[in-house]
Amino acid sequence: MDTLNRDLRDKLIRVNEEIKAKYNGIASNKEELRDFIKENIGDIYLSKKMKINELKEIEMLGGVTGVDGSTNRIGGSSPHYIEIYQGLAKNTKNKNDPLFLSEIYTPLIPEKSLIQREEEKEVDEKNIKLATIEIEVAIESIKRYKPYAIIMDGGLIRYNIYAGKKWLELVDICEEKDIILVGVIKDIKTSMIGEALKKSYNDISGELYDRELLFGLLEYGEVIEIDEDVNKKEPQGYASAFIRSSLQPMAIGIDIIESQKKYLKEMVRLVLTLTPENSRGVPLWLDIVDKEVKISDDMIKALMERYLDRAIYEKFFVSERDKRS
Amino acid sequence: MKVVGITTQQEFYVGSKDRNFRINEFLLIQDLYQSNLIGEVVEARTFNRYIPLNIYGDFVDSAVLESLKALGYDVDEDTIYIAKVRLLNEALYPVQTGSDVRLPEFSEIKDIMLKTSPQNGLVLGVIRNTDDVANGMDPELKNILHTFEETGLKEQTELPFIMDYKSMHHYPHIGVFGGSGSGKSFGLRVILEEIMQKNIPTLVLDPHYEMDFSSSPDYIKNSNVDFDNKFKCMQVGTHVGVKFEDLAAGDLKNLLDAASNLTDAMNNVVDVLFKKRDSYNSFSTRLDMLSQAQEEGSPDRIQRRVETAENDDERKAWEERKVLYLSYDKMCPYNSVKGILWRLRRLYNEGVFSKDSRDIESYLKDGKLVVIQGSTRILQVYSTYLLNNIYHKRRDYKDALYKKIPTEYFPPFIIVTDEAHNFAPKGHENPSKSIIKEISQEGRKYGVFLILATQRPTLLDETITAQLNTKLIFRTVRASDIDTIREETDITAEEAKRLPYLRTGDVFISSALMGRTIFGRIRAAYTMSPHTLNPFDELLEKSKEEDEKYNNILLKKLPISEVDMLNLLIEIEKEDGITLTRERLEEKLQLLTQKGYIKKEDTIFGYRYINN
Repeated sequence: MDTLNRDLRDKLIRVNEEIKAKYNGIASNKEELRDFIKENIGDIYLSKKMKINELKEIEMLGGVTGVDGSTNRIGGSSPHYIEIYQGLAKNTKNKNDPLFLSEIYTPLIPEKSLIQREEEKEVDEKNIKLATIEIEVAIESIKRYKPYAIIMDGGLIRYNIYAGKKWLELVDICEEKDIILVGVIKDIKTSMIGEALKKSYNDISGELYDRELLFGLLEYGEVIEIDEDVNKKEPQGYASAFIRSSLQPMAIGIDIIESQKKYLKEMVRLVLTLTPENSRGVPLWLDIVDKEVKISDDMIKALMERYLDRAIYEKFFVSERDKRS
Repeated sequence: MKVVGITTQQEFYVGSKDRNFRINEFLLIQDLYQSNLIGEVVEARTFNRYIPLNIYGDFVDSAVLESLKALGYDVDEDTIYIAKVRLLNEALYPVQTGSDVRLPEFSEIKDIMLKTSPQNGLVLGVIRNTDDVANGMDPELKNILHTFEETGLKEQTELPFIMDYKSMHHYPHIGVFGGSGSGKSFGLRVILEEIMQKNIPTLVLDPHYEMDFSSSPDYIKNSNVDFDNKFKCMQVGTHVGVKFEDLAAGDLKNLLDAASNLTDAMNNVVDVLFKKRDSYNSFSTRLDMLSQAQEEGSPDRIQRRVETAENDDERKAWEERKVLYLSYDKMCPYNSVKGILWRLRRLYNEGVFSKDSRDIESYLKDGKLVVIQGSTRILQVYSTYLLNNIYHKRRDYKDALYKKIPTEYFPPFIIVTDEAHNFAPKGHENPSKSIIKEISQEGRKYGVFLILATQRPTLLDETITAQLNTKLIFRTVRASDIDTIREETDITAEEAKRLPYLRTGDVFISSALMGRTIFGRIRAAYTMSPHTLNPFDELLEKSKEEDEKYNNILLKKLPISEVDMLNLLIEIEKEDGITLTRERLEEKLQLLTQKGYIKKEDTIFGYRYINN
C-alpha cells in the first residue's frame, strides 16, 4: 500500500511540473496576456450592473425567458433502458405558468420516438433530443408570451450542430419578432486565445484552452468582447463575449446571434446583474430554471413504479446494478 | 392543501403552496377511504427551494433577488408550506396520501373545542390560532372577552377557551405552573375572577398580598364587572386568627408544629399539660410556672423558695409551682417544656391567637372569595389549622347527610394557593402538606377542590401533582421543571420544546376532560394586582414628591443667607410642622441647587441661596 501511494504521489508531482512548464511564459503573465488579448482577441472593458428601472423596463417589454433541458436514464445497457427528456421555458413575468415539454425514448419501441432524427448516429442521439426539446420549448413559449429576451443554457453552437433545422426556425422567429436570443456558457470549451497565441509565439505547443487562460485574468465585471474575425463559430455567425460575472476567478461565455450583435453589451450587463457575487458565475435565473427542470432519479423511479406494470418495470428496466444495495 | 409523504394512523404531513400553517390550528382531512378526520398542526415549516439561497452551493445575495423581482419574478412566492399534523383521534388506517385538506367549519369542531357554554363555565381566554374557525361560531361565543397583546387590548377573534368547572366533580383539582413573569399569577387572577362571577365559595392563600380585586387597570373601560361584594381580604393576626379556646390538643400540636417542628417529647408535653377549654393565658402560665420550677431543680429547693418568699402572693405562686413540678416533671423534660413555650409565644406574638376564623366561614357560606393574607410562614401555620377546620366541617356535613343525621350546612368550596410548593413540598413533611394531600386524594368526594399554582412543579409533592386533573402550563425555563411537566401531563415533546419560549400569557392547557393539550391565551383581567407600579418608577415619583414639598417650603423663603438659617429653622417648624437640623436644611438646599431649582452665590456677608 505504501509503495503504491508513493508511486501515485510521484506521478502527481510530475503532472504538476508538466502543467507548470506548459503555462510558463505569456500564459502565466497576467499583464502581458491581457495586452495580447486586447490586441488580438478583443477589447477588455468593465461592465456595469443594470439599474432597477432598466430591469423594470425589460419586465414591461416581456421579461426574460430562461430555457434549459434535462435528461434521465433509467435501466441497464441497450436496449433495456428508458430515457426521459424534459425541456423548460420559464419567464420571469409569468412565473406561475412555466412551459414544460417532455419526451420519452426507449430502444425497445423505436418507432414511438416522436423526434425526427437528423442523423442516425447513436452517440449523438441524446444530444440531438436534448437540443431539439430545448428549442421546441423555446418556440412554444414564444407563442404564448413574447419575451424581451431568451437565455439558453449553453452555447448557441450546440443547437446548430444537433438540431440545425429547428434552430434556424427559432432564430427566424426571434429575428422577426425582435426577441433577443442569447446563450450562457458555464463551461467554456473554446480555445480562441490559445490558437491566437500559437500563431504569434512559436514556442507554444499543444492545446491551450480559454478556460485555463481566462482563470483569474479578469476582474469582477470585466468583459472581453471577441472580435468578429477571431470568432470562428461557423456556419451561422455569432457574436460572443467572456465575462467574469462573480467573485470566482472563472469566466463564463455569452453568445448572441449575429444579427442582434448590438444587444451584446446589454445582455452582458443583464447576465452580470442576475449573477450573485458569491456564486459560480451562473445567472440565478438559469440556476432556478435548471433546478426546476431536473427530475431526481428517485422521482423518476417513483413515476416508473407508479405507471408501469410491475412486471414490465422489473423485466426491462431494473438492472443488476440497481438491485445492489 | 394536500396530505403528502408517508403517513401513519396518527401523524402525517400536509403541504400547501399558498397557505402558511400555524401551530395548533385544526385541519379537516377528506380521506376518501375513511370519514373526515380532524387533525391539529403540531409543527409548521416553510421551505423555499431557492432560499436559504443555496443552489448548488452558491450563496445568493439580495441584490440579485431584487433584480429578479424587478424582472417580475418574486422568489418569495415560490415558498412551500409544510405542516406536521396529528390526528385528534387515531384513524383506522394510515391517512391516504394525496387526500384533500381544508379548514374545518365551526360546527365540525365545536364539540372538540367547547365542552360547555360561557354561562356554565369559566371563560379563561382564547384558543390560539382558531380565528379562521371562529368566524362561524355561535353569537353567544363572540365578543365575550378581550386579550391583552403587546399592542394593547385586542378584540376577541378566536374561539374562547371555556373551562367546565362542573367537570371538576369528575376531574378534580387544577395546577397552574409557570416561571416568574410567565403570566401565572395573572392566569390565577383570571380564574378567580371567573370563580367569583359564579359565586363559588373559595378560600385563597395569598402570601404575596396581591389577590385584591378592587382596582381595574387603565385599559379596561366601562366594564360592568364589579367584584367589590364578592371577595374579602383578611390578614392573619389582624382580621382572622385562631380562637385558642376552640382548639383541641391535636389542633394545637399542628399549629405549634407548623411554627417549628415538634419532637416526640414536645408532643407529649402538649398532651399532658394542655387541658380542654384552656385559654392562651392559662396554658402559657402553666408552662411558664412548670419551667421555672424545673429551673430550681428539686422539690427541696422549691420548698426553700416557698419558705423564703417575701409576701403571700409569691408564696402561693411557688406552692403552685411545686404542685406542677411534682405531678409533671417526670413526664415533661425541661427542654421540651421550654420548646413548647417559645413556639407558643411566637404564635401569640404574631397575633395568631388574637382573632377567630368565624368570619371566614360565614363569608364562604355566602359564596364569597376569601383571601387570607400573611407571610408564607404564618400562612403555613394558619392554613394548617384553617384547612383542617373547614375541610372537616364540610366532610362532617356530607357524612352526616349520608347517615341521615341533621347537621349544619357547610358548602362545597375551592382552595386556591400560589407558591403551592411551600404548602406541600416534596421530600419533607410539613403540617399543611398532610391536609392538602388529604384533600387532593379525597376532596372530590366531599366537593372540596384545589387550585395550586407554583413556579416550581418539581418541588411540589408528587402525590398531589398526580391528582391535578387540569394543568395550565405557562412559560417554564428550568429544565427540571420541564421534565416534571412532561412526566405529569400529556404535553408532547414538540410542545415541551416550546415551553421556554412561550409569550407571557400564552398557556398550554392539559386537561383530562379534553383528553389533549390546548394552546391558549389567557384573557385580559378585569382587575389588577396592587403591585403593578414599577419600583423604579416609584422611586422617581417619591423623589419628585419630596422635591416639590421642600421647593414649596423653601422657595418662598428665598433668598436664604447663611446667617438666617437658624431663624428659618424655627419658622419652618412653626409653619409646616417639620423639624430640621441646621445640617439637614443645608443638605436640602444643596440638593435643590444641584437639581437647578435655586442657586448659591457668595456675598460679603457669606453665601446665600437665591432664585435661579
